[in-house]
Amino acid sequence: MSEQSARLVRTLLLIFLGLWLILTLFPLYWQFITAFKSAAETNRTIPTFWPEVWHFENLAAIFAEPSNFGALVDSFIIATGNTVASLVLGSLAGYAFARFPRQAGGENLAFWILSNRMFPPVAVLVPMFFLFDAMPWGTDSYLSLIILYLVFNMPLATWLMMVFFRDAPRELEEAAYLDGYTPLRAFVKVTLPLVLPGMISVAMLCWIFAWNEYLFANLFVGTQVRTFTIVIPTFTHGSQSLWNLQMAFSMVAMLPPVALFILLRRYMVRGLSLGVVKG
Amino acid sequence: MSVAEMPDWFVHKKLRGNLIVARWVPAALVGLPVLVLFAIVVYPTVWMFYHAFQDTNMMRLFQGNWSFVGWDNFAAVLSSGRFGDSVLHLMQYLLFGCVLQVILGTILALTLYEVVRKEWLRVILLIVMVLPMMLPPSIVGVLWKFLLTPSNGAVNQALLNLGLIDAHVEWFNAGVSLWAIIIADVWNWTALPLLIVYSGRVSLPPAVYEAARVDGAKGWLVMRRITLPMLKEVIAIAFIVRFMDAFKFVDLVYVMTSGGPAQTSELPAYIAFQRGIREFAIGEAAAYAIIIFAISAVLIVLFLKYLKKVLKAQGFA
Repeated sequence: MSEQSARLVRTLLLIFLGLWLILTLFPLYWQFITAFKSAAETNRTIPTFWPEVWHFENLAAIFAEPSNFGALVDSFIIATGNTVASLVLGSLAGYAFARFPRQAGGENLAFWILSNRMFPPVAVLVPMFFLFDAMPWGTDSYLSLIILYLVFNMPLATWLMMVFFRDAPRELEEAAYLDGYTPLRAFVKVTLPLVLPGMISVAMLCWIFAWNEYLFANLFVGTQVRTFTIVIPTFTHGSQSLWNLQMAFSMVAMLPPVALFILLRRYMVRGLSLGVVKG
Repeated sequence: MSVAEMPDWFVHKKLRGNLIVARWVPAALVGLPVLVLFAIVVYPTVWMFYHAFQDTNMMRLFQGNWSFVGWDNFAAVLSSGRFGDSVLHLMQYLLFGCVLQVILGTILALTLYEVVRKEWLRVILLIVMVLPMMLPPSIVGVLWKFLLTPSNGAVNQALLNLGLIDAHVEWFNAGVSLWAIIIADVWNWTALPLLIVYSGRVSLPPAVYEAARVDGAKGWLVMRRITLPMLKEVIAIAFIVRFMDAFKFVDLVYVMTSGGPAQTSELPAYIAFQRGIREFAIGEAAAYAIIIFAISAVLIVLFLKYLKKVLKAQGFA
């Protein structure tokens, strides 16, 4: 290929990249401006590409309704509770797989755990519902979603923690044993500090997936507990969607995952080497 | 205190200076997580396999008087037009959703790596392009439902202004609504193959490219003879991941169209959800679930096979 045509291809590719960026950003731009439009302006026959008047009070209007703020709180409690549980269970298994791979059940068990993340949840949704319905805490509770989300978050935590524990040299631990540390103390004082940065990133990943989850939440909770993911589609006035409020609320609700993603993009790449990014 | 003096419950024996812990320690560490997974995944799976061969619906389930019907549920599913249609929809989704996403993602990833020179710019572009993937699916669904509103949506207006269409496209009519879902899905998930291929490209050994440069190879030749062959497995993984997701794909369908109008945008996973949870035909939903389950199992085995290879190559496992 000649020098000239190579340059042409480069230019075309760059144009394509630029177009894709515009296509990526346009919906987010639209979400942003709609969030500050008046309800009347969102229903114009010809939509405006810039708000005529900026209605910043839309944000206040959302949180004036206590149940909306409550939905964010519910999502936060569930995401955080699930993250803690995933991390504790995942670290136990990850540590065992890293240090004693054969005694802990070997590669096959590790891959079985991972495969749980990949199976379609719709396949088991109905029996899960009846299973949780029979439990003392029922389906419409924090605990039910905290436990359910383990299905996709615990395999992720197990695998990533396994990698981090593997990277932490076991000689240090054994040196601590020789100094008279008990196994638990050696783990807490020597190994844990080494894997802590990794552990924090796993926590953030798990948190994002639990925060964003929709399908389970939609089926299991809704009366006593309401996550924001099931509340947003219900912002309507009669049969008319209140687009400006839906957009304003979703803008607030998507800030935490976006911020966390920017913080831990490096680990994101690692996580998706496992094919596990979609929650 | 030496290793030999560690508490009895912990030490099994010391072998050539290596500490061998008592057998129950790793078993206990793995046991608890495995037990949890068994309770919440394995029990429902077994339950579902059982009811796929029963005539269970909501009423019979509560009365406890369902009975064995053999393969009837599977026959009902496979012979129903609804299932046949959903398979066609799935084909459309796989071809124009998943396949397109992997192709677009690969082109974008390699363009980003090979053509954009500045490191910081690449990082910023990558973050921007991956943003849609971080949004909750219900927000993506609502956002696109809004963007594609036929009468006064942003997309129709933008297309009109650009002169690409003469009249509003009815995005949520029969035959079009599946395209609306596919468009939203491409926006949402193209970043996934993009990131997978990009990280694959980053981890290719620079020495190979150095050698190619010395030999005078460049541009398209390097791409065709070195980069693409070396990324073969990574691209395969991107494909399989998207295909596995296709069998889980419910949330956008549910939020954007609820499978409608008149079931014209239903995918198999969505019907399994709908039959079991909204229409209470539990036996039939279980049969749907098992069919999806079986296809997923094949994809997962395939995926793990490739994954082991790639993980080894990247020093991951």
